[in-house]
Amino acid sequence: MNSSGPEENPEGVKQAEVIVGIPSCSEAESIPFVTEQAAIGLSTYFSAYRGVLINCDYGPPDHTRISFFSVPTKVPRIYLSSPEGMPGKGNALRRLFQKALELGARAIVVVDADLKSLTPRWIKNLGEPLLRDYGFVSPVHVRPRFDGTITNHFAYPFLRALYGRRIRQPNGGDFGFSSEVARLCLASDLWDEHVSCWGIDIWMTTLAVQSPYRVAQAFLGGPKAHRIKDPRVAFDAMFEDVVYTTFRMLETFPETWSQVRWSKPVPIFGLGPSETETLPPSRADEEQFYRAYVEGFTRLLPRLREIVADGVLRQLAELARLPFPRFEFSPDLWATTVYDFAAGFHAGRIPRSELVRALIPLYLGRTCSFLKSTRGAQPHRVEDVLEQQCLVFEETKPYLLKRWSEIGSSQAG
Amino acid sequence: MPRIMIVDDEASIRMLYREEFEDDHYEVIEAVDGGGLLERVAAEKPDVIVLDIKMAAYDGLDLLQEIRQSHHDLPIIISSAYGAYKGDYKTLAADYYVVKSSDLTELKQKVRKALEGKVPAKAGTE
Repeated sequence: MNSSGPEENPEGVKQAEVIVGIPSCSEAESIPFVTEQAAIGLSTYFSAYRGVLINCDYGPPDHTRISFFSVPTKVPRIYLSSPEGMPGKGNALRRLFQKALELGARAIVVVDADLKSLTPRWIKNLGEPLLRDYGFVSPVHVRPRFDGTITNHFAYPFLRALYGRRIRQPNGGDFGFSSEVARLCLASDLWDEHVSCWGIDIWMTTLAVQSPYRVAQAFLGGPKAHRIKDPRVAFDAMFEDVVYTTFRMLETFPETWSQVRWSKPVPIFGLGPSETETLPPSRADEEQFYRAYVEGFTRLLPRLREIVADGVLRQLAELARLPFPRFEFSPDLWATTVYDFAAGFHAGRIPRSELVRALIPLYLGRTCSFLKSTRGAQPHRVEDVLEQQCLVFEETKPYLLKRWSEIGSSQAG
Repeated sequence: MPRIMIVDDEASIRMLYREEFEDDHYEVIEAVDGGGLLERVAAEKPDVIVLDIKMAAYDGLDLLQEIRQSHHDLPIIISSAYGAYKGDYKTLAADYYVVKSSDLTELKQKVRKALEGKVPAKAGTE
């Protein structure tokens, strides 16, 4: 795939050991702050290495490039622009992989250009493990319970159960990787339009946990703050890309994940004396999620009949009849539902994007139930609920294996 | 016979765990606190560690990080009288977290699970 586009390398950088990549999409306003913090991070913690900042811009032409170069710093900079017609963070990162290999980098850290909470320590925590023989570093941000719900209710429990590694925020936008992992990403033939957009983070994490390279996590404090976007615009597309990519990758590694039972923790770097979450009051509208579930279930019922098992459908239907105060979407039902969808995706009898989108209202139902059950709870109680959900995904995994093999048998027949 | 290392500064807890786990055919090693723990782990090669958090001279969560840095795949189960530490991100480095009780059913179940939960070498991220 030819993903080359315009490049500006005013200082003629030909080699670099540590790279901070900054993907951006119309971030002229916010990129100076990120550039400044990343430059301080490189010069403070990686002064013994040749470092470079690379802005991988995937937005329409604007002032992002000028803003990036306007920051006064001695750290050299390179600007890469995705070619026209190739939008998405994934495409921008693909250019970064190529450039990193060209420069002979050992450690590549990626931080989004819209971050407001970035500190130089992020660069340290994400980068240092890569110089200690780790291949991929995933972030751990402090996040309120109503934030990161795709992570909490789908990406984390699903990847943990499937691949046996507890990557707490596998869909975090900020991460680090080695040149070996960059090469692996470039060589992968699993690239599609979902990976090239929001699916890139989960795609990289999944490739990394399947690779022979060691995986770590970096504690970045928090909570993470970035430029506010309209969540209604971004959510559906993000959900589809993340879930589609995750399901699709199951088909590539069945011989590995089918052998994994339970899970193991992954080392975390950068933890201070005591890192405990503080929870601001929830702003989430639980009742709105409930209504989305009931409406979505009713609307999608014919499709759901083709995706989920009869027993699961009956339970989902019962839920849709419950009034809001009695609504309770259990982790067991959620895990079984997700596995039915994963199996349905594999079966391929329904257009895959349509199938993934049909999961959204059910996911909102589970989110509603989680928010209700953790209302006013202390952080350790919230984490406990999420941990229990993960254990349910692990315990229920044989159900997915059974469904998966049934599909394999019917396809073979 | 699986070897289980109990790290707890309370003698009564160590005694209780020893009796219970020996009855279940585990070989039990005791550590009274974190002193020289890394060296003992390297020398005695336990199959699983049960680790207290609040010890007089040591913080179990710091010990957890230290052990995890050098023993990536060694199962470690936190056994604490306090559930509130579950909110501390350091506990993510443990395999399981069990709140202490005189009924060891949950702890035993987690020990069994931790020993069972070997990730195939192919996943080999550690």
